[in-house]
Amino acid sequence: MPGKTPDKEPVENGGYRGGKDLKPKGKKASKKEADDEMTVVVPPSKSSKQSSVPPPNDAEGDVAMDDADKAAEDEVKVDPVAQTINDIKSNFALLDRAVALFDARFSLRALRSISSIRKRLTPDILAQAISETYPSLSASANVAKQMLQAIGRSDVPLGRQPGPEMEIDGEPKASSKNGAKKETKEVIPEVDVFLGILTQVFLHDSKQLQQGFEFSHYLVDRVRSVNRRTLDSLAAKVYFYYSLFAEQIAPLPPSPQSPIVSIRPTLLAALRTAVLRKDVDTQATVIVLLLRNYLLTSHISQADLLVSHTQFPENAANNQVARFLYYLGRTRAIQLRYTEAHEHLTAATRKAPSSACALGFSQTATKLLLVVELLMGDIPDRATFRQPNMETALHPYFLLVQAVRVGNLGDFETIIAEHADTFRRDGTYTLILRLRQNVIKTGIRMMSLSYSRISLRDICIRLHLGSEESAEYIVAKAIRDGVIEATLDRERGFMKSKEVGDVYATREPGEAFHDRIRACLALHDESVKAMRFPMNQHRLELKNAQEAREREREMAKEIQEGDLDEDDLGGEFEGM
Amino acid sequence: MADRELAQLVTRLKTNPPTSYPETAALLSRAKLLLLKLDALTPPSSSSSPRPALLALARDTYEQGALASIRARDPAAFTRYVSQLRPFYELLPAHEGEDERNKIIGLYLLLLLTQGLYGEFHSELEALSMTTAAAGGGVDVEGDRYLGYPIRLERWLMEGSYDRVWKAMKKGEVPCEEFGVFSEILTSQIRSEIASSSERAYPSLPLSSTKSLLFLDSEGAVVEFARSRGWTVKDGQIFFPSAQETGEEEQEKEMSQMVIENTLGYARQLETIV
Repeated sequence: MPGKTPDKEPVENGGYRGGKDLKPKGKKASKKEADDEMTVVVPPSKSSKQSSVPPPNDAEGDVAMDDADKAAEDEVKVDPVAQTINDIKSNFALLDRAVALFDARFSLRALRSISSIRKRLTPDILAQAISETYPSLSASANVAKQMLQAIGRSDVPLGRQPGPEMEIDGEPKASSKNGAKKETKEVIPEVDVFLGILTQVFLHDSKQLQQGFEFSHYLVDRVRSVNRRTLDSLAAKVYFYYSLFAEQIAPLPPSPQSPIVSIRPTLLAALRTAVLRKDVDTQATVIVLLLRNYLLTSHISQADLLVSHTQFPENAANNQVARFLYYLGRTRAIQLRYTEAHEHLTAATRKAPSSACALGFSQTATKLLLVVELLMGDIPDRATFRQPNMETALHPYFLLVQAVRVGNLGDFETIIAEHADTFRRDGTYTLILRLRQNVIKTGIRMMSLSYSRISLRDICIRLHLGSEESAEYIVAKAIRDGVIEATLDRERGFMKSKEVGDVYATREPGEAFHDRIRACLALHDESVKAMRFPMNQHRLELKNAQEAREREREMAKEIQEGDLDEDDLGGEFEGM
Repeated sequence: MADRELAQLVTRLKTNPPTSYPETAALLSRAKLLLLKLDALTPPSSSSSPRPALLALARDTYEQGALASIRARDPAAFTRYVSQLRPFYELLPAHEGEDERNKIIGLYLLLLLTQGLYGEFHSELEALSMTTAAAGGGVDVEGDRYLGYPIRLERWLMEGSYDRVWKAMKKGEVPCEEFGVFSEILTSQIRSEIASSSERAYPSLPLSSTKSLLFLDSEGAVVEFARSRGWTVKDGQIFFPSAQETGEEEQEKEMSQMVIENTLGYARQLETIV
């Protein structure tokens, strides 16, 4: 019956989607705190992936990979070099399939394997892989030469026949791949770029930044010269490393002479092209890179303009969305648009992968979120500070929250002075300086809650304000801003608090309830959007619908003609 | 030849500015024409290297222009000059002419403050603290004579210590004469702030103390001000119109409307989900 068929697919795709989400996890960690945490990158562990993805269908692809890996391991245990090369090459098969089937999932899978390969990379391995891949006379030999040069092995000849390791390895996949290559004799650009990314990764890990930057420049040019949709996810990665190199070359970012300023035109051009080609991966990545770029040199207004003139792709990878939201939240926080900032940052912390490899991101985002919450006059939840992997990182903020909560200006100032370096490094210092007024306000609120009548002089002394006049103005402003319910008596110089009303009689509970409902609804909407539907499925459905309609018409005709049995009719309608 | 003439113009603008704005403007436009002739304003072609001396001259010209437009109370022209100066500040080494730079940026911050553009104010501030951190953190933004002033003012305005703002504008606290231009705007700004907080905070105010509260000179001025805000003066006391009662009813109405809207929204969403 018509309705039946499509049911099965989405579930399976849910599985794929889960698998896809996984890939950027390793990437995310590398992005965050790129300077030192780069080494922390852990390959996404297969077990965690399995557990994070409920539908079992996902297993199909990945388990197959696992088996292949294991098989390879068993056979070539002797030589890790050969095994790495094989690992690299097995990805070519995936890329081939991605091109043949026009399905980005295979390229994503290839990219995912980078994190496991990167630890084993040496210039020799890379050089060997490159020289075995490219025949010496192919059109893309030029690319290969560039890569070899970048890793300092320009003397390795191209087109070397697979070494003896290849014979030990009896893996059918690799050999069939070899056969295919001999037929076509041409290396597809995806493989070029994949090897290019490996080169970038290697140069980055071995801290050859200048060289990496130059090579990335070349690679970016190369990526831009080919227009292939199957290259999209790879291209995004290329831009990512390009900008990463630029960031780490002296002079370092806040200085306006840093190379990150010079790569902006390239990135902007890439963004334009990506938008025109509907290349979602590159578009998302490049927008995020540009935002980060602007914020590093604190060109806030430029970042703001970029956001207002571009549209972040809706179906971008989860991690890019998280990063985008983080940078957006940061911009908004600086612009004093706290409500928006809070919204974006909350979403960013929720979207951040919960695994350990993205810890840096979660910490940074949480820190900013805490400060923004304080600026909005909320006191963050105590539980935030108790999470085991965040406790130490958030400690200065914990002290800060305590001072703000009590409204103690003295404590607040000592904490700022004490942890100024930490706050500066986190980029929250200027935001925290703005908190001063909140501390005063909280202080006044405490005062108004505890005393029904208090003289301005006492307020002035308790809050360490300059003078009674200041205190009077400050309290008056607090009353106007709705921080406290009180009146001032100017002649006798005291503040008289009004009776505190019942919170449940106000609109506050309703608003809190509404907020929660809205969050749930948004979650529902997003999960609906996140479902993936296979290509061309709708045509099938259309066809079915068409058939059904025809049947109906026939039926109607038959009814009109009056030669239809009662039973017949019932049977048909039940199916519809 | 042209650069010598330009240098002369700039020194004249610096040391001995003409008193009237049109004169200064004429000098400035001559200087700008010369700059154009010298190709100092267009990006140098790759073959010719940029001439630092010329760039510094160009920067000086714009700085003088900015100061002149402040003296002439022309915020639009000033903002234009500041945006023209920005690339010079970013690309030239910051060590020379730091003082002038801080003065201009300080003035710009103050301008943003008086126009109520707090978002831009803070973006600018963020950029400032970043660039000084990059320069080795030697300069303390808050400690600077010119930059510290608007920053302190902003903080006091935000927390409500209007008396300090008042004091800072009064005596010899103003770092230089150009900053004084903004005093008038700031005064009326804080006055209206105080007035709006007083409306809520006090049930009534005696006329005599309102004078000091609003930094006005005489009781007559107070009465005038009270009239302009629509306050009633009776027996030497100021009473504020109570907008409370009418507001409450409206709020009630608004709230029930909101509740209805929300509930309808939930119902609609439920419908689509189930």
